[in-house]
Amino acid sequence: MILIQVILILAFAAIFLVALRSRSAHSVNAWKKIAFAVLMVVLVIAVLAPSMVGVVAQAIGVGRGTDLVLYLVSVTFAFYVVNQYLHAQEARNQLHQLARRIAIIEAQERYGMERLTVLASTRTTPAPGTTAEQPETLPPHA
Amino acid sequence: MRDVAFVVPVYNEAEVIGSVIRGVLETCPHVVCVNDGSSDDSADRILEAGGYLVNHPINMGQGAALQTGIEFARLLPGVTRFVTFDADGQHRVEDAVRMLRVLDSTDVDIVLGSRFLGEAIGASRAKRMLLKAAVRFSNLTSGIRLTDAHNGLRVFNRHVADTLRITAPDMTHASEIIELIAHNKYRFVEVAVTIDYSDYSVAKGQPAVNAVNIAVDTLLRKVSR
Ligand SMILES: Nc1nc2c(ncn2[C@@H]2O[C@H](COP(=O)(O)OP(=O)(O)OP(=O)(O)O)[C@@H](O)[C@H]2O)c(=O)[nH]1
Ligand SMILES: [Mg+2]
Repeated sequence: MILIQVILILAFAAIFLVALRSRSAHSVNAWKKIAFAVLMVVLVIAVLAPSMVGVVAQAIGVGRGTDLVLYLVSVTFAFYVVNQYLHAQEARNQLHQLARRIAIIEAQERYGMERLTVLASTRTTPAPGTTAEQPETLPPHA
Repeated sequence: MRDVAFVVPVYNEAEVIGSVIRGVLETCPHVVCVNDGSSDDSADRILEAGGYLVNHPINMGQGAALQTGIEFARLLPGVTRFVTFDADGQHRVEDAVRMLRVLDSTDVDIVLGSRFLGEAIGASRAKRMLLKAAVRFSNLTSGIRLTDAHNGLRVFNRHVADTLRITAPDMTHASEIIELIAHNKYRFVEVAVTIDYSDYSVAKGQPAVNAVNIAVDTLLRKVSR
């Protein structure tokens, strides 16, 4: 084995191990796990037998092996970007919902809007536009 | 007007928010201000002026702030009508009052302000052209026809407040609201309003490139529906 092959295969192995050991791995779609494992195997084969890539490329009409690799990397990367974008959006939505709950609960507390009756004296800021008598029943929380 | 709640998204408007709140308080006691992680002292000005302060712990955008404000306003006892109102002094309370009257005297669920039926005082020609282009884009994509698509002044009833789910956190929410009007089949009408483009509000307003964001997000929502 040439040095570069050793380095690349060690790198792939390290990535694979990190992925396996990550605690949140079970939340990842099973198909993505399979695709990832297949990708790792293909990469190792491509490193050990570069000529095979050329053979495959010829077979599907790409011409050069390096071109095939470039195309595959491009597609994988685009997929990765979209996937990360969707994940980030989902995470942001969850964060926003959490922050919204905090904001509303904090405000309810500030204006004594507990669903349980709160004594007027424990209110920190009087609700604007409201007089001493505040209705004790509030609409149920959505 | 104890049955009305104004919902005001606030982001770094310390300079003007106090007078905007006081202006509303002359006709309506419930001014729900959602302070969206402002870095100035908007929060103090809101409390001073006598608005309800609802504090986002982080900046989440105008759409997210409106949704929070509406959800909080729904919890206020006796509130059945809702107004969304800008914090930058561009809107007029008397326009909102007129829109409330329209809500009461017709069978619509939501009344939308239109500066193109009314006036946009001080708006540059470029701003007008951009807004008109946005209206055309909206009319093509949303399923309903309007004369103004990005007007923050709206008046609606409890049904809309209970069922509206704004998910677009940023400025795109205006397009999303229009899509939701079409999707949820709210009955709507437009009313002429006056928008004041003061130097302050122009300096703070939306840069034109944001239109690209809004257009792309709108198309993304269309394909993901
Ligand atoms: N909560 C929240 N509110 C915001 C944010 N950015 C702007 N706003 C508020 O949204 C309202 C309108 O904001 P503008 O930036 O003037 O947007 P606009 O009126 O649609 O655009 P112009 O026509 O350029 O004035 C004001 O009340 C602002 O304080 C934000 O990031 N979060
Ligand atoms: Mg503005």
